[in-house]
Amino acid sequence: MTLVGPSLVPVIATANSQTAIGVEGELVEVEARVSGRGHGATIIVGLPDRAVTEARERVRAGVIASELWWPKGRVVVNLAPGNVPKLGPRHDLAMAVAILAASDQLPRERAGKVLVLGELAFDGRLRPVHGALIAAETARRVGLEALVCPRACASEAALVAGLPVHGARHLTEVVAWLRGELELPLAVPARGVVPADSPDLADVRGQPLARRALELAAVGGHNMLMVGPPGVGKTMLARRLPGLLPALDETTALEVTRVHSAAGVLRPGSGAIRRPPFRAPHHGASAPALIGGGAGPRPGEISLASGGVLFLDELTEFSRSALEALRQPLEDGELVVARAAGRVRFPARVQLVAAANPCPCGGAGGCTCTNERVERYRARLSGPLVDRLDLVVRVDAPDPEALSRDRPEATQIVAARVAAARDWQAARGQSIPNARLELAELERLGIASDARDLLERAAATGRLSARRQVRVLRLARSVADLAAAGSVAREHVGEALGLIPRGAGLG
Amino acid sequence: MNGPAVRLLERGSAEWPANLAHLGAAEPKRLYVRGPLSLTDACAEPAVAMVGARAPSAAGERFARTLARELAEAGVTVISGLAVGIDAAAHAGALDGAGRTIAILGCGIDRDYPRRNAALAKRIAAAGAIASEWGPGVEPAPWRFPVRNRIVAALAQATVVVEATRRSGALITADHALALGRDVLAVPGAPWLDLGGGTLALLRAGAAPVGGAGDVLDALGVQMEVEPAPGEPPTGVAGVLWAELRRRPRRRDALALSTGLAAGVTSAALAELELDGLVVEERDGTLSALEPSRRRPVNSSGRGA
Repeated sequence: MTLVGPSLVPVIATANSQTAIGVEGELVEVEARVSGRGHGATIIVGLPDRAVTEARERVRAGVIASELWWPKGRVVVNLAPGNVPKLGPRHDLAMAVAILAASDQLPRERAGKVLVLGELAFDGRLRPVHGALIAAETARRVGLEALVCPRACASEAALVAGLPVHGARHLTEVVAWLRGELELPLAVPARGVVPADSPDLADVRGQPLARRALELAAVGGHNMLMVGPPGVGKTMLARRLPGLLPALDETTALEVTRVHSAAGVLRPGSGAIRRPPFRAPHHGASAPALIGGGAGPRPGEISLASGGVLFLDELTEFSRSALEALRQPLEDGELVVARAAGRVRFPARVQLVAAANPCPCGGAGGCTCTNERVERYRARLSGPLVDRLDLVVRVDAPDPEALSRDRPEATQIVAARVAAARDWQAARGQSIPNARLELAELERLGIASDARDLLERAAATGRLSARRQVRVLRLARSVADLAAAGSVAREHVGEALGLIPRGAGLG
Repeated sequence: MNGPAVRLLERGSAEWPANLAHLGAAEPKRLYVRGPLSLTDACAEPAVAMVGARAPSAAGERFARTLARELAEAGVTVISGLAVGIDAAAHAGALDGAGRTIAILGCGIDRDYPRRNAALAKRIAAAGAIASEWGPGVEPAPWRFPVRNRIVAALAQATVVVEATRRSGALITADHALALGRDVLAVPGAPWLDLGGGTLALLRAGAAPVGGAGDVLDALGVQMEVEPAPGEPPTGVAGVLWAELRRRPRRRDALALSTGLAAGVTSAALAELELDGLVVEERDGTLSALEPSRRRPVNSSGRGA
């Protein structure tokens, strides 16, 4: 091809980049206008953030390091549409391609037919960026022919079917490919390595009742509260819940992967997320950290946990505002963040697991708290969020006898029982977890008369509000499902009665 | 407060309980009362004061409630101070037995104090009597509680202490009872527990030990016929768990593992045992077995010797 010097007639070229608003991708057209007039300045317009403005220096350095030349005249780069915020260094490569095309160093037509994504280093290398998966979806949606992205992101992007994805390591490779001088290898989807940190339930010794509660939580999708002194294994138990849950279906897997891709927490080569995620934000986490937001906006912990488990250790230490912020998304299973650019939806279908000390002193080795202190503390454990924790289990330090006698089952065995119970639910046409069944539906599925008697007897003690009775029946339904029972039987209600919050007080 | 109307008794009024005169100079000048029960009528029958710790063990609370129920069923009036813990259990037990109960407050007659017992207070006001020497609007104050204890002791023929530490206010009631020449009885507790300290001191000082309602009825001179236990020991899985807990109290996990029963089966059976009053769970999660009530008073023959 022939290289020509700067023309007095402005030359315009377009490359395609992409930005994400939440988990939705938006095509960004990067236009470069090169003219012989002016004083050699490079200007970037189109709602760029700071990292984008700084791209000028990176792109220039990268182009020169790649033994290409920088146009001598005035260079104006426009990122369109102008009303969408462009964040981060992901547009570097598209800017370089557009400028090189406008200065006739690349075929302009070909540059406009693909999506190019990546951050440039001063030496022209391509650095990985967040959200390659969402970029690939965007490219496919708008009908572009291929995606070129940094090699490290290529296997993530290749999870999207029906779009050729090429990974490149250096700007020179991209230029050569666009010129037709080089073939870039076609990326293959990441294989999905099984994460090494899926711990086994067999490690939890001496806690048969807590293990059983975890199993029931997995069967019915019940939100769960573990109450016990520090250091007795509450976190250990919580971490084992995802292992008991079935693998994510295709739709959910892609949705979860997109969220993780958007947040940039997808590990290179990990492939689509097919196991329920587990997130355990620290109790110092702010409301925005939990539910997401900020520029972008970025998904919060509840969205990163969608499809899996959100674990709140030391529940009473979380700020009221943070817990309050979680309530609505927990109810709706999704989160809507209003932004200038429009409303952004994030998924938020989580199973909540929380842990708390039984009293202010922690209760290890005998409690020394007065009744009044305990009551004040318990009051903090109430409120709209805690009301959504259906299953409450006490977790104590196992005594030596229990430790020596216990032969815990492995995750694989328990997970198989959970899967069978969930199949049982699916077979009767149930599409929501037991935890969300209404009373009428629970009645329709069947409750034995002596099971009702037991519930009424427990209610007569005055410790079971109507609301709690429904919770008991939901839990009892999960017990019944584990036993592959049609109707809820008396012993199912009996077991459930031991797993609800205990109200104190006489009268 | 939207309870029944408050009536004011003064010394010499018809409903004024005669046994308050034993207090001498300390006899209250007036009593505010609400609830349908007449104090005179209630104290004309055998009457017992039941007091104890505000933070009792779950087993102690359960024992107090059962004891109060059995005494109420035998026609005994149960008097206490509406504090949380043993006091509340005593009142609740008497109501369980559809018997008479009187609560003496350490604050104004219209106060719902302590708040935790508000629902219980409502039931007492509907079926028994709530009384105070302080009129509407008087705030609870620390000094009022020991002072009110003299009335609790004076109204009853005997005072039963269920669980009490050495510093418990219940011992003040027992002191008043002794000073008035009334009987004092104490439920033996575990000497290695704080809650056993107060009752141990009373037993050393000559209080009569209480192992059940029969001991209290004996002290009151109430003749009682007994019928065979309606509560048989549990059978089946529940029986296995109950027997194991009877040997030694323990937590749920240890119980499941020592009996070799599955966690779910254990939980289901424990729920039944708890509802039957045969197992009780302490705040630290320890479960203990309770005896099925062996005898049940049928008819009381009023005041004996």
